[in-house]
Amino acid sequence: MANPLLKEHVLLRHRDIEDIHKIDVYLAHDGYRALEKGLKEMTPDDVTNVVKASGLRGRGGAGFPTGVKWGFIPKNLNPKYVVVNADESEPGTFKDREIMESNPHQFIEGVILCAYAVGAETCYIYGRGEFWTLFHGRMQEAIDEAYEKGFLGKNIFDTDFSCDMYLHLGAGAYICGEETALLNSLEGLMGQPRSRPPFPAVAGLYAKPTVVNNVETLANVTPIVLHGADWYRQFGTEKSPGTKICSLSGRVNRPGNYEVPLGTPIRYLIEELGGGIIDGKAVKAILPAGASSSNMGADKIDTPMDYESMAAAGGMLGSASFIILDETINAVWAAEKNVKFFKHESCGKCSPCREGTFWLTSVYRKLREGYGTKQDVELIETIINQMEGNCFCLLGEFVVPGVRTSLELFRNEYESLASEENEVDQPQKDLIHTFF
Amino acid sequence: MSDNVTLTIDGVQVTVPKGTLIVEAAKQIENEIPVFCYHGKMDPVGMCRMCLVEVGQPAIDRGTGKPELDEDGNPVVRFFPKPMTACTTTVSEGMVVKVDTSEAAVDDRKAVLEFLLTSHPLDCPVCDKGGECPLQDLTIRHGPGNSRFDYEDKQHFPKRYPLGDLIVLDMERCIICARCVRFQQEIAFDPVLAIENRGRRAHIVSYSKPGFDSHYSGNTTDVCPVGALTTRDFRFGARAWEMTNVPSLCNHCGVGCNTVLGTRAGTIRRIMPRQNEAVNELWICDKGRFGHHFNGSPDRLTTPLIRKGEELVEATWDEALSLIGEKFGAIKSANGADSLGGIAGARLTNEDLYVFQKLFREIIGTNNIDHRVGLSAALEDETAFTVGVGVGTDLGSVGKGTTILNIGADLDQDAPILYLRVAGASVKRGAHVINAGGRRTKLDAQVQTTLRYNYGSAARLALGLLASVVSQGLVAKEWADSRTSGMADLEKALKNFGADKVAEATGLTTNAIDAAAKAFAEAENGIIIFGLEAGNDPALRAALEALALATGHAGKPNNGVIAVLPHANSRGAIDMGILPDRLPGYKPVESNAGLSAVEMLTAGGVKGLLIAAADPAVESESYKQALQQLDFLVVQELFLTETAQMADVVLPAKGNAERDGSYTNLERRVQTFDMGVPAPGKAWADWLIFTGIAGQLGADWAYASADGVMAEITQRVPLYAGMDFKNLTAPISLQRKTEHYIYEGMSFTTDIREGIQWATVAESDSAPKIPLRFIEPAKASSQEQGLTLVAPRMLYDGGRLLAEADVVNAHILEPQLMLSRSDAQKLGVSTGDSVTVSQNGTAITVPVYIERTVSEGVALLPRNLAGRPAEKLVGPNGLYSTVKVEKS
Repeated sequence: MANPLLKEHVLLRHRDIEDIHKIDVYLAHDGYRALEKGLKEMTPDDVTNVVKASGLRGRGGAGFPTGVKWGFIPKNLNPKYVVVNADESEPGTFKDREIMESNPHQFIEGVILCAYAVGAETCYIYGRGEFWTLFHGRMQEAIDEAYEKGFLGKNIFDTDFSCDMYLHLGAGAYICGEETALLNSLEGLMGQPRSRPPFPAVAGLYAKPTVVNNVETLANVTPIVLHGADWYRQFGTEKSPGTKICSLSGRVNRPGNYEVPLGTPIRYLIEELGGGIIDGKAVKAILPAGASSSNMGADKIDTPMDYESMAAAGGMLGSASFIILDETINAVWAAEKNVKFFKHESCGKCSPCREGTFWLTSVYRKLREGYGTKQDVELIETIINQMEGNCFCLLGEFVVPGVRTSLELFRNEYESLASEENEVDQPQKDLIHTFF
Repeated sequence: MSDNVTLTIDGVQVTVPKGTLIVEAAKQIENEIPVFCYHGKMDPVGMCRMCLVEVGQPAIDRGTGKPELDEDGNPVVRFFPKPMTACTTTVSEGMVVKVDTSEAAVDDRKAVLEFLLTSHPLDCPVCDKGGECPLQDLTIRHGPGNSRFDYEDKQHFPKRYPLGDLIVLDMERCIICARCVRFQQEIAFDPVLAIENRGRRAHIVSYSKPGFDSHYSGNTTDVCPVGALTTRDFRFGARAWEMTNVPSLCNHCGVGCNTVLGTRAGTIRRIMPRQNEAVNELWICDKGRFGHHFNGSPDRLTTPLIRKGEELVEATWDEALSLIGEKFGAIKSANGADSLGGIAGARLTNEDLYVFQKLFREIIGTNNIDHRVGLSAALEDETAFTVGVGVGTDLGSVGKGTTILNIGADLDQDAPILYLRVAGASVKRGAHVINAGGRRTKLDAQVQTTLRYNYGSAARLALGLLASVVSQGLVAKEWADSRTSGMADLEKALKNFGADKVAEATGLTTNAIDAAAKAFAEAENGIIIFGLEAGNDPALRAALEALALATGHAGKPNNGVIAVLPHANSRGAIDMGILPDRLPGYKPVESNAGLSAVEMLTAGGVKGLLIAAADPAVESESYKQALQQLDFLVVQELFLTETAQMADVVLPAKGNAERDGSYTNLERRVQTFDMGVPAPGKAWADWLIFTGIAGQLGADWAYASADGVMAEITQRVPLYAGMDFKNLTAPISLQRKTEHYIYEGMSFTTDIREGIQWATVAESDSAPKIPLRFIEPAKASSQEQGLTLVAPRMLYDGGRLLAEADVVNAHILEPQLMLSRSDAQKLGVSTGDSVTVSQNGTAITVPVYIERTVSEGVALLPRNLAGRPAEKLVGPNGLYSTVKVEKS
């Protein structure tokens, strides 16, 4: 599967090299050389600095500079933990899974380097419950192989550095992708977010300093340490360097993961890599970051895929899971699907998210089933206004942009579903009767 | 840098300590930020989002590091883009908070209320919380006037779901603030509640067996900001605004929790805690909350009764009192004053007890008085006079730097609110708690050090700790030299209690003893708590007293000894000299000490007896026989108890809700309670009855009220000099205001009567040196073969008052022998099988229950249960003995 924009894949190296998931094949292709270099030739601060210099930004969605995050970890508090967020549960995102399935050692090497950089000796990889076969199969095998070869365990490369790695499966909750809820879940508590401060960097897992990174982020660390920051900066833009795996889905001919340098226009992803829209229809909207993203109109199709340009265009790069809607899709139906998803996944901790998603779902259902009114359309708008900024964590906040932009772009579709007649037909409810 | 910060809230400046939450800072300037999940006693969680406010901070110029100034020279304030929760955000210097002045924040709070009400049933007209409901009040203040939510879409839940048999959940009303779950976790340390499922389907569950298995469950109904949690005995009992609230005290144990009687039409409808940070904070236990039903019981005595042959027939007070005067007078002139005696229970008030002893000592002329029957006999304490905890001690505030040594008290059962405070000191505030006991108790899970000693060796353990303090050189030399005497003799006596000898006797390691001694001696504050299961042992008390004195943990706040005495006024009974050998105020009787209760209850002890608030007939068969041989027996009671049935005259007394008076709690805090409901029939207050009897015997006392008696106590008992009703009964307003119940839950938090503690000898610098006492402990019991039967006290026991509360009936234990699994296996029995337990020819048959907290070689049979089986074996005053257990 050649990719005209990249001579060789940086992350999806299994597409270039067969069987790289096997440790012998991986070792034959520079495997664990970055770790050797890091441990033998660099201090932990050097590793952090090279990651800082590379400009790598978190690939989980927020896009926070990774090296800066590592720098927040206090030096004098021990033990420290590295927790990898592999709870890839944003609808439309399936990049981490491919990395762990097919190129696991590059990821594991990145995790060990991260542990070395921040001074942690224990790493937990928290995967979504559906990764059962993966975590009991190839990921565990890869970790076992790494232990056998001495890349994990005591005194790696005969240095003072020791590191252990554990896999942990969640029980199927979207909220556990939120880092503090993930830490709660990992501790055996209910998967609900914690209030911040304190931030995980200071008091995370078991109230110890903890760095939480996404799978793809750490898979990037390995080539950065091996080849250096300048090499990495040849990809992407000034502020968003590197490559990014885009998960493409929706009404395209060839959905799937595509690794592209940051800054590649969306049009290239859809038309060249994704083979265009099914039946040659027109793009109606682009959801660039799964269910939690805004709808970008078809006019934004030439936006370069980097953090800044996407934000400027009213969207966000997020985890780069592009869901493409074409003209055959009803906007209300699509928005309702997302709202229902959030209602199902709301943890129930804070009122605006728990009640707001529940309320939105019932208003959407009413509209779609054809007995909504114009007031219901306005109600949707006020509900999201009442949620925005008031929720405990980002899950509730993520409901807002999708619904808001859907309303902005396709209000006519909402209003065509709402009927004037329904207003007249609404029977007056006998409230007193309903109490008993 | 000063430790205070100044901020501006809605234009008003306020200065508060660093680390204060915005909501607390706003409270100080009477700016009420609405909250639901926030509670001052629990960690903030910020989940209800009701307290959203706009927060700004002075902008700092990055270049100069100085605050940016605008054109007029005022600091520029940058507001956070999102509203912040006032309950989780701490204040900072120069912060600007907009609560009501920000339109956005006002709208946000309105929005949160609309969200919360979407699935709320709005059944205020039939809801118990109506009228005192934070959700209702805050909706009126901050909420939208109507809802746009379609009623048909409401999420439905069960309306009457019993979480346990005391608490009923209406999940539809719940707004998931998790206060109840957090109370159980953070304050009661009984994490038996949880939230199950997520999103709109989240709901409260209890998976303990039995459901909601906690002694503190009633408090969750107080902290609940809606009507979701209700108690089974108050559901639909009365509307909040129709009740008259009366300040009262709980009469079930020695903690002295402050309560409020919610009364209506002459009956108690509910009991709720009343804030007193020095005693019970905002909480009461379930026994206190549900155990009030004896007050309105139809079985109460309503009129005096006089024996006519086999029958007790109704009589007037005149008839009854003159008969008593006549008979007592006759016995006295025929056989002398010492042929009369009196036993008064420790649930009587200080006023009752003072008049009682005055009647016997001054009018009749005998020292034959005692309060030590039943539970009161199982634990004595005289250490409070010298080394009781210092005035101003607050277990609710001690933390790091304090060591609490608990010996032989199962606090969760003996004094539940004390358990909350000790466990809280340990878990929340970092005090070092050493829990020493003969078996595993609930406190073990919350403490740093557990010492498990062999039953009967508590005195040796205490002496071992003292010897270890001496040998490690940890004696507080300066203090001990200036305030105590006899250190040299004590050190000599302690030679026999070296760590290795004590280790052998107690079954502990020498390291454990040394470490505990060090932790106690080196702490800044040291508190010793001892209870029933340490044994009623003068050697133990002398050792604990010496330990407190030698380490300098006496004579100042948060230092000293607390005895977990069993009854509401056990302390007061000792203070008032209801002892044959001690006068009020711990003055020893000079020459003619009287008979103790046990002696009076021996055949031939006395000829005439007055028993008030005690029921010795059920305690022991021998007591019963002795009572039968009396010439004349007067019983003063609430109910026709077994003892009362044997009496010649029965006098109806008032319950504590029907009168006023004062109790002295186990920290020597004197507190008063008011009258709440009328007494049934012709019942009198006990002090009035004693006054009437005294009048028949020639006295001309003119007590008109309980405070009249207290006025005399303050003059005649030096310890009580500082106390009279005037300063104990500070005017108290029980008016319910929203600002109280939205922050603290339902407890009454308006005014506080703190009570007054009397000062110990150790607190007085001018007092003579305190002699360090040493009493040789009794020899270890003979090497009898068999199990050690221990008779601890349980919270829900077979006491007469509790028996009237139907709602807790299911919790009252049936007699059963709790055995460890291995002992049960050796005997070949399992739970439910019956066994015969025998000792010295006495045998009882009880069912077995295998209990994992019991260690091998020990069998538990709680005391004070129906039929008093435990007392039959260990004696009415005993605690443990060696018994033989056989399968029957």
